[in-house]
Amino acid sequence: MASDSSPGRNNNGPSSPDELASSPIGNTYSSPATRTRRRRRSTTPLPYNTPPTNQSRFATSESTPTTTPHRTRHHVSTPSSDGGPPLSSDAGDDIDEATPTFVWGTNISVQDVKAAIQMFLKHFRDGQSQGSEIYEEGKYMKGIHKVLEMEGEWLDVDAHDVFDYDVELYGKMVRYPLEVLAIFDIVLMDIVSLIQPLFEKHVQVRIFNLKSSTTMRSLNPSDIEKMVSLKGMIIRCSSIIPEIREAVFKCTVCGYLSDPVVVDRGRIGEPTSCLKQECLAKNAMSLVHNRCRFADKQIVRLQETPDEIPDGGTPHTVSLLMHDKLVDAGKPGDRIEVTGIFRAMSVRVGPTQRTTYVDCLHIKKTDKSRMSAEDPMELDNCNGSRRIEEDFQLDEAKIQQLKELSKQPDIYDRLTRSLAPNIWELDDVKRGLLCQLFGGNALKLVSGASFRGDINILLVGDPGTSKSQLLQYIHKLSPRGIYTSGRGSSAVGLTAYVSKDPETGETVLESGALVLSDRGICCIDEFDKMSENARSMLHEVMEQQTVSIAKAGIIASLNARTSVLACANPIGSRYNPRLSVIDNIHLPPTLLSRFDLIYLILDKADEQTDRHLAKHIVSLHFENPESTVHDVLDIATLTAYVSYARKHIHPQLSDEAAEELTRGYVEMRRRGNFPGSSKKVITATPRQMESLIRLSEALARIRFSELVEKHDVTEAFRLLEVAMQQSATDHSTGTIDMDLITTGVSASERMRRENLSSAARSLITEKMQLEGPSMRLLELLDELKKQSSFAEVHLHDLRSAVTALASEGFVVLHGDSVKRV
Amino acid sequence: MVGPMYDFLANPLGAVRSTFDKAIGSESDPSSFDGKDWGAVDLFRHFLFDQARLSQVPILNGATINWIKPNTLVRFRGMIQDMLGNELYVGAYKDGSAWRTNKFMDISQCPVEFNSPDMRLWDRRLLYCVPVPGLSSWAESTSELAVNMCMDSTSEQRDKRRRMDIEVLDHNDFPVPGDEFEYSPSAKRMREDPSPSQYLDPISEGPCSSHVILPDVDRDSLPCLVKIYDSPESELKLNDVFEFVGVLTFDSEPPSEKVEQDEFSNGLCDDVSVNLPPNKVPRLHCVIHRKLTGYDFLQNAPPTEPKPHLVKEAREALLRHLTSILGNDGVAAHFMLLHLLSRVHARADNVAVGKLSLNLTCISKEIASVFGTKLNIVIKSLLPFTKCIPLTMEYLNTAFLAPKKDYQINRLIPGVLQLAEGSHLIFDETCLETGTLDAVGIENTRLLKALTELQKVEYDFQYYKMEMMADVQILILSEGKSNILPADIIMPFQPSSSGSSDVVPAEVLEAWRWYLATVRSLPHTIESDMQKAVENDLVTARQADRSLGSQDFSRWLTMGRLISASYGETSLSLEHWQMVKELERLRIDRLK
Repeated sequence: MASDSSPGRNNNGPSSPDELASSPIGNTYSSPATRTRRRRRSTTPLPYNTPPTNQSRFATSESTPTTTPHRTRHHVSTPSSDGGPPLSSDAGDDIDEATPTFVWGTNISVQDVKAAIQMFLKHFRDGQSQGSEIYEEGKYMKGIHKVLEMEGEWLDVDAHDVFDYDVELYGKMVRYPLEVLAIFDIVLMDIVSLIQPLFEKHVQVRIFNLKSSTTMRSLNPSDIEKMVSLKGMIIRCSSIIPEIREAVFKCTVCGYLSDPVVVDRGRIGEPTSCLKQECLAKNAMSLVHNRCRFADKQIVRLQETPDEIPDGGTPHTVSLLMHDKLVDAGKPGDRIEVTGIFRAMSVRVGPTQRTTYVDCLHIKKTDKSRMSAEDPMELDNCNGSRRIEEDFQLDEAKIQQLKELSKQPDIYDRLTRSLAPNIWELDDVKRGLLCQLFGGNALKLVSGASFRGDINILLVGDPGTSKSQLLQYIHKLSPRGIYTSGRGSSAVGLTAYVSKDPETGETVLESGALVLSDRGICCIDEFDKMSENARSMLHEVMEQQTVSIAKAGIIASLNARTSVLACANPIGSRYNPRLSVIDNIHLPPTLLSRFDLIYLILDKADEQTDRHLAKHIVSLHFENPESTVHDVLDIATLTAYVSYARKHIHPQLSDEAAEELTRGYVEMRRRGNFPGSSKKVITATPRQMESLIRLSEALARIRFSELVEKHDVTEAFRLLEVAMQQSATDHSTGTIDMDLITTGVSASERMRRENLSSAARSLITEKMQLEGPSMRLLELLDELKKQSSFAEVHLHDLRSAVTALASEGFVVLHGDSVKRV
Repeated sequence: MVGPMYDFLANPLGAVRSTFDKAIGSESDPSSFDGKDWGAVDLFRHFLFDQARLSQVPILNGATINWIKPNTLVRFRGMIQDMLGNELYVGAYKDGSAWRTNKFMDISQCPVEFNSPDMRLWDRRLLYCVPVPGLSSWAESTSELAVNMCMDSTSEQRDKRRRMDIEVLDHNDFPVPGDEFEYSPSAKRMREDPSPSQYLDPISEGPCSSHVILPDVDRDSLPCLVKIYDSPESELKLNDVFEFVGVLTFDSEPPSEKVEQDEFSNGLCDDVSVNLPPNKVPRLHCVIHRKLTGYDFLQNAPPTEPKPHLVKEAREALLRHLTSILGNDGVAAHFMLLHLLSRVHARADNVAVGKLSLNLTCISKEIASVFGTKLNIVIKSLLPFTKCIPLTMEYLNTAFLAPKKDYQINRLIPGVLQLAEGSHLIFDETCLETGTLDAVGIENTRLLKALTELQKVEYDFQYYKMEMMADVQILILSEGKSNILPADIIMPFQPSSSGSSDVVPAEVLEAWRWYLATVRSLPHTIESDMQKAVENDLVTARQADRSLGSQDFSRWLTMGRLISASYGETSLSLEHWQMVKELERLRIDRLK
């Protein structure tokens, strides 16, 4: 954009060195944005002198791009002391002549900063490339080359890199951004012109990723003229405002065209008389609009994101000023992170008030509320700045925090608690959902066969057991979640749809919910009310993870690597205890077997849960609820945790775990083959085996462990059993013994039952002889009650404990009498 | 501390200035006052509270704005309707060799050399405040009282007559004597002050300064832009009701000619000054603010100590009155009393604990015409903030219930449901007929439902919605059970007479208001053995009836709490718990 005028400057530069030296603002010519920034400074012109960038172009004939600090002798020609790079040993001869100049009002030496920036740009190397190739160019030198190749107009500089390389420079940059960035630009242009003398565009530096970001409400007068980083949402964009940069005047008398007049501190020096010696007509110069050079400018309103607003506040807004390429970089509704300079400007209304705004340097779009969707294999690790702009990056501190978190012994329970904390109990369902969020490893064999890593879950339950809330919650949390209701979805709506474009007549493929939620979770409510036809479409999706279309001239197979979370009511709306589980769910076995976990959520009269409820509510009313709040992770941490695990943790089965898997599977098969059970129970199939592997992998992921261990497998088996209430299922009939249901039993409750069971065991060992006389349950209960910790045990509890012992073959239970065998 | 050297009422800025001069004399560096007070606020606090002069400060409202002089001390009672962010201003500057301050004023004769070192930029918060929505007339009259007290402090009788007179008078011929202050000795001192006007706004210095004519400010809803200095953000929240005491600035001049109205300056310029022109909306530079409770709206400050016999008496009398208003339906009156006492006292997850919305059913249009208006009057005379909304199809389809952010003017457009904490709403559903709800209507019903169930209102910020906590008592009158507003208590209304319409003496009303305000704010606990008993009761009830859920339990406990509170007690007793069960039984019987 500036190219049209730069040759002119080139010619002027050497011919009138005085002019250049006295107006350093001309130097920032190389960066329109910087100049605007400085334009509004009403202080004296920056009193440091830097040699015009143009001069260095002449130097390139002698110094090759590879030599380190450059621009040596030539500067001597400039009238004042110059900003040679005093720190470099090569340029040692310059140091003597350089008298330090300081940024006005500070103790920052221009030369020092300049040298520091040069060192940084030339020598900074990424952490990963360090050591491997020492002779390789620095990160930003590569960046500069790339910019040159692409004919780009800016170089993105990660502030973290600056910090790592030179803390002092970082500090100066944040505190005095106007001055330091101007120097930055100059240094950059010097390097650019060294590499490619005829490069015409002006490259600017764009700083991003500051060490600390500020919230909008904490911006205060002390931040003025500092570099800040803000997060927020764009709510309003003004139209693009042209801002004049260079004006050309024409004499209305003789038609003489003036040289372009550059904007100086917001003003254009309009010539009062014609500059042509022959004419000199007074007040005859008029602006020639189409010869002037304009730059784009835009005012954008940024508003705080909802999560930063404190209780009882309204969102704050801040004006952003965008220049040139940043114009239209974001549109209303985008969540962005901007890096810029916080500035104040006097308002016309009252001289004492100031409007504030942020001069933008860099924009990064963010969306933190969802997990990042990409799997690592999808991330074709292209280096370059783009990557950072598109990918949700966790900073080091956050990763460290997550790792700390994962080391806690109760992380599994803690995550469970944090998942939908307002839904009470249903702990095991939440565990399953947690596994779904983490997911297993997808596997693609060389032979082409692929195994999905996604876990599908079906929730079947009585009305009013908060299934839909769980679904909604997962939908909010999951990446690319799609929420549909079975009633309102058709087969094509779920998969893909071929339609004819009304204008061109071409057939076009339109994606449905499942394709859209590729790599996400597709939540389907009211699964039972879905039409048979639509449901059958799910078969392919749920196992092969593709959607195949063959109609109207289009034969395609679309990826639909999605986890399905569906919920349904049992047939007849309420669970009928007299029917078998399969009959209650009433879905074709083909589909059922594709769900890794099928949860029966039953509403059962249980005094224990009633008491829990009563206690919960009483404490809600009479205690300060804040004090009883458990330590749950907030949703942002949870998503970060899940995203990190999905991206970086790929657990492998340990030998021990593999053994356990085989053992468990064989046992499950055996149970399924119970005589007379032919169809009534869900038998174990290879699919179950895969499910178990996926679940154990997910469980290992939860711990950030790269190895699936034995207890993961045990837990996976437990989840599978609990889900189907298999522990409570009478295998001969396939019905559930309602007394044995343990839905929603909390961890503490399970612990209590385990304790009871072991207490009963020791009591029996103590009181009864092997093959000795039997004992009545009530007697046992009385004995047990003598122990202080079991004062409130009910017969019913004891019975279930003894039944468990009986199943182990430890005792025999006949009616009410217990006999040890 | 020595007596006031300045007339705080008439020349508050003088006090500000003198304290500043004193402070700067000892400190010499104004940067030490960044975001801090240098002692001016303490001086005012001493004057207003320790010397109890608060009542002498005139209240700013639509009537008084016409005669209150700018740059004097005023009070404003209102609800924070919108927060307009922070504003930077030149807090201190060097005038020659002396530092001057601009704190607590809008415009000064500051030499404006931008970014000079002889200048400190400070910030202040802008709050847009409006009179509390639905403020009852009895709560409002405090202001007039204060005005009268300011004008002359004669006997109460005359006062009352005067108050009625004022209500009749149009604000145009409201007595606008600029010399009320003559009565106060401090005003005289002000006259003697050598340079009182030096720090006054030059614009309002003109002869017309005391007679600011407001073109189109509604008398009832004078908004005010309050500028808050140096107070933590968490102290002031949206929808809170506050009393702000501070310096009034009010610009009678039309805004200076709009030069350079280009888009650039418009886009960056403060929306505040554009959309809230200083000649329409007065500015109050707040020195001291305090949060108001229902208690503060009572006329005479009655005994703070809730004496048991007073509470019992008031309870009996109020209950009797409610019973007679409700056509001798004693059960309904009991529930009504509990309903009037309810408030959200805690929140856990999604549950607002303590709310008790009441739905009186079996009310046909005719019954509603008899009892609805009476109820409305009674509630209006008892509670400070009330509103009655007849729900019709048209209303649902057109009303703006939720506040909405307008990004064009960068303001929160108030909705009907933007209410102060503790407001009371009556929804009259009897006039609702069948019809079609459009998109707005559906959204509105959703909002109403969320308000009744969760005590939350979703504010529409266009790109996202933000839930704001509310604490609103909701009374619904309907023929059958209302589905739009699912109340906690469904109460079939069975009047046996047409209800009385006795005129209640003012003192009695006053006592009832005091009773409601006091008892509502009582703390509450439960003894551990009582807790056990309650738990057992709940478990047995659920064993007997599986349909009972957490909502029912919640309701019982809330009722238990409110019943004991209504007797002025702070912990639940078995007797009151039995009363809850009895009331519930009576209610369930009626439902059958």
